[in-house]
Amino acid sequence: MAEHKYEPTKWHSMKGPVIGGRDTYQAKSWNPTKKKWGSFTEKGPAPVWFAEANATNWTESMICKTKDLFYEAKLNQCFEKGDEVAIKIHYGEWNRTAVLRPEYIAAIVEEVKACGGNPYVVNDTTLSYHTYNSMAISQYQLEGAIRHGYTDATFGCPVMIADGYAGEDDYRVDLPEGLILKETYIGRAIAEADAMIVLAHARGHSITMYGGVLKQLGIGCQSKRGKYITHLAHWGDPHDAIGWPKFTDKCPGKACKFHKMCDDSCPRQAHHVAEHGKVWYPERCRLCYSCQVTCLFSGMTGIGFEENYFPNAMIAHADAALGALKCFDRGKVGFINCAIDIVPECDCFPWAGLAIAPDVGIFASKDLIALEEATLDAIDKAPVIPGSVAAEKGCKSGDDRFRMVNGFSPRITMAAGEKIGLGTRKYKLNNYEPPLTPEQIAKWQIRKGGVVNHKPTTVRLRDVFQKHDLATEVMPFGRTAYEKEWAFNEWKKYDPFKGAKP
Amino acid sequence: MSEVIWVDTTCTSLDNTVRHKLRWLIEASGAAAELSEGMRVALKINTAEEGYDYGLRPEFVRVIADTVAAATQTKPVVCDGLKLIDYWKKAWGNNFMKLASSQGFSTETLGGHFVINGGFSGDEGDSFPCNLPDSELGGVEVGTAVCRSDALWVLSHVTLHPLLGLNGALLNGGFDCLIGRARTRLLKSINPYIFNGQKPPEADLQTFQRRALESHLGVKAAVENKIFFINYLWDVTPQPEFYPFSDKPLVANQGFLASRDPVAIDSATLDIIQSEGHFQVQTVTGVDVAAMLKEAGKIGAGETAYTLKRLS
Repeated sequence: MAEHKYEPTKWHSMKGPVIGGRDTYQAKSWNPTKKKWGSFTEKGPAPVWFAEANATNWTESMICKTKDLFYEAKLNQCFEKGDEVAIKIHYGEWNRTAVLRPEYIAAIVEEVKACGGNPYVVNDTTLSYHTYNSMAISQYQLEGAIRHGYTDATFGCPVMIADGYAGEDDYRVDLPEGLILKETYIGRAIAEADAMIVLAHARGHSITMYGGVLKQLGIGCQSKRGKYITHLAHWGDPHDAIGWPKFTDKCPGKACKFHKMCDDSCPRQAHHVAEHGKVWYPERCRLCYSCQVTCLFSGMTGIGFEENYFPNAMIAHADAALGALKCFDRGKVGFINCAIDIVPECDCFPWAGLAIAPDVGIFASKDLIALEEATLDAIDKAPVIPGSVAAEKGCKSGDDRFRMVNGFSPRITMAAGEKIGLGTRKYKLNNYEPPLTPEQIAKWQIRKGGVVNHKPTTVRLRDVFQKHDLATEVMPFGRTAYEKEWAFNEWKKYDPFKGAKP
Repeated sequence: MSEVIWVDTTCTSLDNTVRHKLRWLIEASGAAAELSEGMRVALKINTAEEGYDYGLRPEFVRVIADTVAAATQTKPVVCDGLKLIDYWKKAWGNNFMKLASSQGFSTETLGGHFVINGGFSGDEGDSFPCNLPDSELGGVEVGTAVCRSDALWVLSHVTLHPLLGLNGALLNGGFDCLIGRARTRLLKSINPYIFNGQKPPEADLQTFQRRALESHLGVKAAVENKIFFINYLWDVTPQPEFYPFSDKPLVANQGFLASRDPVAIDSATLDIIQSEGHFQVQTVTGVDVAAMLKEAGKIGAGETAYTLKRLS
């Protein structure tokens, strides 16, 4: 293959920091952050409830166990009757296949309603992330959500975008406790809720290494402005590439077959392709990742990330998570991690790779850091799936799985989160197994408030068949005459194993 | 004189149903020809409060949305703002969407992405000047679904209004496009809960009326004058849609009007409903709408004189 010619990136220097309307925009929050906010656990290990992924009978359905954990972990006590309860989920990028099945969310919405809460499902818009992003514009994101099965009809409650039509409906939260961020912006539909249940799909992420409930708060609850802040846009010197993308001087320019996509990738036209390299205006950049991710997704290396960026972004998103938590009184937020379809990349990717661990199960707690530690420990212990990127990288059961797959340990985030008061890393795992009893079976199989009305289906069918039995109407059925010898032996002639048992 | 097109309710047949008439209205006005591929068009509609029983059928909006989608090759945004009045103490966006859905209004039924103009909180918006030398307001904050769009079509379900007399193009393409905080600012000392004939002092009312008219100029500036009006003269009730109850309509359904001039279309609306319904809006509401429309003309919102092209 012909070697590409590379030229150094042509930089247009910044004259100074970008000054916008910061002094006047939400200079004073009109609604003070909740005074009683804080980590749920005051002392000692926090309880985390866990139900494993396998199911062999009707009480063990993952949907039933998710509902059970909602009560075992006392998440029903996060809200009072009449409270507006935001159910925070990830709506999933277009063509992404590993998103949470809608039933997991419907399960929680049903229980919030049953307990007297007024639920609504929310997610904020994102930044553009890549050329064909479908989550940055609210209508696109809703179209994608519908395609994934996340609709009002599926859940029986509104499915909304938390930061409004244009991503500007937000609420500034001060963060004097933050290690990097001193403020952030939270989508109003979340900030204004009385309570929140965060339902996360636990899987990997290229920037934060891992995404669970903390990432749902630290990125997912942030409005567009909050995301730019959390991405660390314009933090430091552009040449360090912490607050800016890294221009590697390895861009083939117009010889790159993706160069038109690259030129399209910046919503602010902060860069464009030259004959053998790039032209770059750092002042225009807002670190939305679109150029970097478009380049990476296409297998190229012209624009990328500085390695040291990732741990800083991890710490920043813990700060941002605190911003979201501050919008609620202490104890008003419940957390559930679904450690299933544990793939290496985020639900904001337009594809899903092979899982790096078999499904582990459902975790629930009121302490988000304890929950994340329990989830990470369990994923680390799980077997490594052959053929996955974890196997390719030589990961073994017991290794820090996401560190091996994505580069850094997610415990960096958890340590930072504990330091700023998000929760405690010490947890006590309570293993939950549903009892196999008629009451337990009936609890989640007989639906209340739907078409079914408190009766087992079979009992309801008695009313139908007593009036008119559609089967009896056409009996005796037309069939060959029964012969015992034929029924017990004829099928063996069609069986490659001639009737032998495994 | 501004042109107003009126497709009336006569001569209905298999190929002249309401949806045919609405398409005819758009065709006759040439409004779709002004749209181009990729344009983001916002359709501002009215959503009915719980207890208001004469809301427009979703199809009346969907036919317009489909026409816009065909012209722009992209689904339009269908929007309405959160109501200032909070009868049931359920002020936020989630309850608005739940109620709209229960009234049959959703993305599935309306033919466009159904959103709240102003976001969940009702306050997502941006400031635009009224461009009037003697403006009381100076400027207004317009909701984002409107101000971040390339064009605005105001689809007004015409009813009467307790403070402004007529709930038509000027109100729906003005005050009703503002964010919640802007509406509170416009109302100033007026209590918006108008029931049982209670009326604010006349001076306060006139100030509010003037401000409501000026706010249309801000909305017009927000969409750079790319604005088109359809008035539905259908189920014209004494109460507007944000009321929690409604009396029966005052006049038989008269069809649909279209114009680029909100003053002209509201003038034509007033004339038609008064003559066909044999009543005076001023008698029912106490508001001299004709005088208000004249005022609207004076501030440059449009012309009271119109030519009416009637199609059956």
